[in-house]
Amino acid sequence: MRVSELVKQGVFKSFNDPGDKEIKGVYISDMVSDIIGIGPGNLLVTLQTHKNLIAAANLVDVAAIVFSRGKTPTDDVVALANKAGIGLLGFEGDTWTLAKKLYELGVR
Amino acid sequence: MTEKRARGSCRHRWAMSNIRGGYLVVEGCFHCRHRTSFFSEEPVPPQDDYREGDHFWSYLGSSQASKFDLKCRLCSMEVPLRDIMALMLCMRCDPECGIYRAGSGERGNKTWVYVALCADTSHASKKCVSKTGIKALNEYFNSGLEDPAKKIIVVSCASRRSVDTCEGIVLADVGLTEMY
Repeated sequence: MRVSELVKQGVFKSFNDPGDKEIKGVYISDMVSDIIGIGPGNLLVTLQTHKNLIAAANLVDVAAIVFSRGKTPTDDVVALANKAGIGLLGFEGDTWTLAKKLYELGVR
Repeated sequence: MTEKRARGSCRHRWAMSNIRGGYLVVEGCFHCRHRTSFFSEEPVPPQDDYREGDHFWSYLGSSQASKFDLKCRLCSMEVPLRDIMALMLCMRCDPECGIYRAGSGERGNKTWVYVALCADTSHASKKCVSKTGIKALNEYFNSGLEDPAKKIIVVSCASRRSVDTCEGIVLADVGLTEMY
């Protein structure tokens, strides 16, 4: 599935241009030190909204980032994500509900 | 059984190995204003002041971080990255900085410079991270990038102009306890 197809489902809020990268997997983590070990193309699910996260997500070339529990990134974080071409999505529910929703939508 | 390739001719396919979690601890000497850092695998990072030669090191801060080495999946060559404390994204804040210039020769806006930070933050010892480690990190982070126009450049922190004014983003878990 591609990020644009996921966004079309109408479940997520978009904080910027979500782009159209291919989603090759999902990784759930709130730790930058953990994220730098993942492979390219993952949809990153997290509670963290700080710049360090974008810096790490760019390094490992994520497909997009989904913030759970209604977390909202600040303008400078969105600006850095824009520069890196990383789509930022939001989900109101908790991370477990989000994980189930992604699976229901066909993300594997 | 996988046939091991000769290391000299191997086009390495790096994978992270020996991943360990801990704390990136930063200390400063109030006497000479130099800074140093180390990686602590203790459950609670040490915060004691101590004397080392002419330096009087005091705790400045810490954040959760991880360290890793790289190992080639093809030839099993290992590159220890013990001398790298953390990676940092260059925010291109200072055109006079050597890190800034490292990315200036690249065309397009999809080149990102990451800095491998050594323990001797102020480089008082004149030592920095190994060239072998930098080369392996470049190969590792550029392998498998989805966008062919995107490029990751990893450089050592030796050419950083000023640790005091640097606006780089360190890839460590700062603010982890502030998310709720």
